[in-house]
Amino acid sequence: MSDFYAANLVLIQSTFIGILLAVSVQVPMRAGVFSFAGAGSYGIGAYVSAILVLKTGMPSLLAILMSGIVAMVVGLLLGLLVAHLGGLYLAMATVSFDLIVSVLAINGGDLTGGVTGLFGVLSDVTIFHLIGLALLGIVGVALTERGRVGRRVDAVRDDPELAQSVGISVRRYRLAAFVVSGLLGSVAGSLNSLVRSTISPSDIGFSLIVLALTMIIVGGAQSWKGAVLGAVIFTWLPPLLAGFGQLQHVVYGVIVATAAIFVPGGLYGIYSEARYRRTRAKRKTPQREAPAHEQALAISVPNGDAGRSA
Amino acid sequence: MLQDLLGALGLASIYLLFALGMSLTWGTIDILNFSHGSIFMFSAFTAHLLIPYVPMGFVGVALVCIVVGALMSLLVQVVAFEQIIKRARNRNTAERQILIGGIGVAIIPLAIAQEVTKSNPFGFIDSGFEVTTWTFMGLRGTNILLITLTAAAALAVGTAMWLRRSRHGLALRSIGVDSEVSAMMGVDRRRLAIVTMAVSGGLAGLAACLFTYTLGAITPESGDTLLIKAFACIILGGVGSTGGVVLGSVLLAVTETVVLTRTSGLWVEAVAFGLIFLVLLVKPSGLFGRKEVRRT
Amino acid sequence: MSAADATATRPVLEIRDLAVHFGGVKAVDRLSMRLDEGRIYGIIGPNGSGKSTLLGAVTRLTPLTSGEILFDGEPFHTVHASQIAAKRIARTFQTVRLLPDVSVRDNIQLGADAARGDVDERRGWWARNFGTHTSPAVASAIARTRLGGFEDYRPAEMSYGTQRRVEIARALALDPRLLLLDEPTAGMNQRERGEISTLLKELRDEGLTQLLVEHDVQMMVDTCDYVFAMNLGTVIAQGRPEDVVRDPQVQEAYLGKKFRHA
Repeated sequence: MSDFYAANLVLIQSTFIGILLAVSVQVPMRAGVFSFAGAGSYGIGAYVSAILVLKTGMPSLLAILMSGIVAMVVGLLLGLLVAHLGGLYLAMATVSFDLIVSVLAINGGDLTGGVTGLFGVLSDVTIFHLIGLALLGIVGVALTERGRVGRRVDAVRDDPELAQSVGISVRRYRLAAFVVSGLLGSVAGSLNSLVRSTISPSDIGFSLIVLALTMIIVGGAQSWKGAVLGAVIFTWLPPLLAGFGQLQHVVYGVIVATAAIFVPGGLYGIYSEARYRRTRAKRKTPQREAPAHEQALAISVPNGDAGRSA
Repeated sequence: MLQDLLGALGLASIYLLFALGMSLTWGTIDILNFSHGSIFMFSAFTAHLLIPYVPMGFVGVALVCIVVGALMSLLVQVVAFEQIIKRARNRNTAERQILIGGIGVAIIPLAIAQEVTKSNPFGFIDSGFEVTTWTFMGLRGTNILLITLTAAAALAVGTAMWLRRSRHGLALRSIGVDSEVSAMMGVDRRRLAIVTMAVSGGLAGLAACLFTYTLGAITPESGDTLLIKAFACIILGGVGSTGGVVLGSVLLAVTETVVLTRTSGLWVEAVAFGLIFLVLLVKPSGLFGRKEVRRT
Repeated sequence: MSAADATATRPVLEIRDLAVHFGGVKAVDRLSMRLDEGRIYGIIGPNGSGKSTLLGAVTRLTPLTSGEILFDGEPFHTVHASQIAAKRIARTFQTVRLLPDVSVRDNIQLGADAARGDVDERRGWWARNFGTHTSPAVASAIARTRLGGFEDYRPAEMSYGTQRRVEIARALALDPRLLLLDEPTAGMNQRERGEISTLLKELRDEGLTQLLVEHDVQMMVDTCDYVFAMNLGTVIAQGRPEDVVRDPQVQEAYLGKKFRHA
């Protein structure tokens, strides 16, 4: 067991970091907020912690906390700025935000180490810190999938107008998504730079967005379980495919495209759909009328019908 | 200064040619094709691979690029985007899945090219077309620059005319990608979507040919860089407006050139991102925007 | 108007000179209405008469161009859409809006989540927000709308009429003072319609004020105490259903010569 651990330490560390990165993009998605700002928060966390530890010798956990606060504030500001955007436009605005963060890292002079980045960031982060923080993140996110909060997040995603009419402040939930995403992404980035003792702009570019997206598309964006699944798969799959050189990316591309087309709910989506089908088949209560799919169009298409005049 | 301006115009033309394809599909069939950059790069890459075996000259290279670009886009539309639209529950889901699907598809040509070239630049050496320089009234230019400017102008006008004509036929386009309705719309809409994607891919191919000749060589990653810039041009000018894309391309190219000559080269990349962010914050519909920017 | 009406104090809902204009279209134009407590009001009118827009304005999903809306005497057209539920105003929509991936029980629970009933207040903040309990209001709403047995179903498995009943149950679970129903019986069969009519009248007897937008004239006549007829964004006639239905302006605008009153 400990041989496995020693041989794969880097991968094990990356798994927990990947989990946090994945949920940082999954949380807003689940709330219907198409934001990739988690990757930018990752960059903020990575650099702020590295700078704090390197320049001031701050203890790791404190540095992680401080960068987390910075990222949450930035997340809140970002959320306020883009509150009027939706869909693609929101996605692109957050992608721009992420890329601006990496440009700032490149042009940060001595503070950020410019193009080469920062080295020698020595910290006391252990595997227990990684596990602990990842677990904390998961538990927090899992809570938001339960009970009243869970239902309300679903409503905000599926039908914002309906959500408002049952007393949900859609704006507040969306802003919260930005803040939580900021915190989670930041912790992931902080852990990464503190564990690897180094951070450079190439660690936080567009490829990070693609990685996070891949994890949750394949794992499943509906739940933290999908994010974890995706993080595990895309941390442990690359070493297996390393023999194929760059062509391993062809595999990823095919997987992502296939998931986007055929399995938008991801692997976890398949599982939960199957579970639902099974409980449905076991039901004994007969239906009194013909089910909806045998009649004309039943479920409304929320986006198309909002604001129709009588 | 005038020399810089000329350079900026050349750059603007490249951006325009690339962005025209994206603007075409986004403005008419609501598809933001994130694999556009990869297709762009791969069409030039294919020409690069063929050059040692087939004598081509400029026209040959251009044709190969255009055809490869068109075919790839067509393939992506039929294999990926159409399937997504068919299965999507509503418009937002379709939009999102198309974006993600495009990103996924884009990885494939990129990986292949990276593997073959080991991420080294590649170009059209020994294609039978030589880039020649001339001087006119103290300004230095190349034949490829002339071709690029002409092509960009001609195609911008052509695209604008096409858009106007197809808008009549697409009066129902505002219904968007509702899977139920598009099924009812049948063959005509499907055919138009495929043709639009193919044309868009052809434009990308042509842009790639001209771009590669202009720079001498490109890398597998060049497509993705241009993708973000094209997005900036379109957003700046306003989605659905050809005049907007032209203006956006010029503005972006000029701003980048100014930033390049005044500051260190590292801020140039920020121009595109910064512009996107700024426009989306202040006036998301862009300068000449036609489309409303829906909030979820 | 009966003596009971004359003694009613403050109306539950009062609309004064409401106007809702979209660009050049006057969806609602100089409309005034008064809803007293404990009665079922109806709105009939042809398509485009402004009925749903009116509901949208009252629930603050549609902005007003001018005019006032008062709820319990307090002006409330400046209140935000998400605060309507806290005022115990519940509504159903013209096209059924249920969360597609969630069970009937949870859909109805959405309404109960909005209510601030005694039972829920006794629980701590934690249990209230993250607990997986089902409120008693949900069970009673399910009972009243005869949805027993459907709790675990998802909307797509049920008929349109049944889905509408879930929407009504969700509205009831909110424990409202004012219930706004937008064509609640569209897609229902005769039997269901009768059941809903009976239910609404029971609720009225318990004191719930209701505003019913209906296309089905029979349903209107059977259920409502007082009817407003709308056309082109304003009220063209009002009174008892039987009287409104016979009003010549109303007949011309809406009923044509197809309706034969027994």
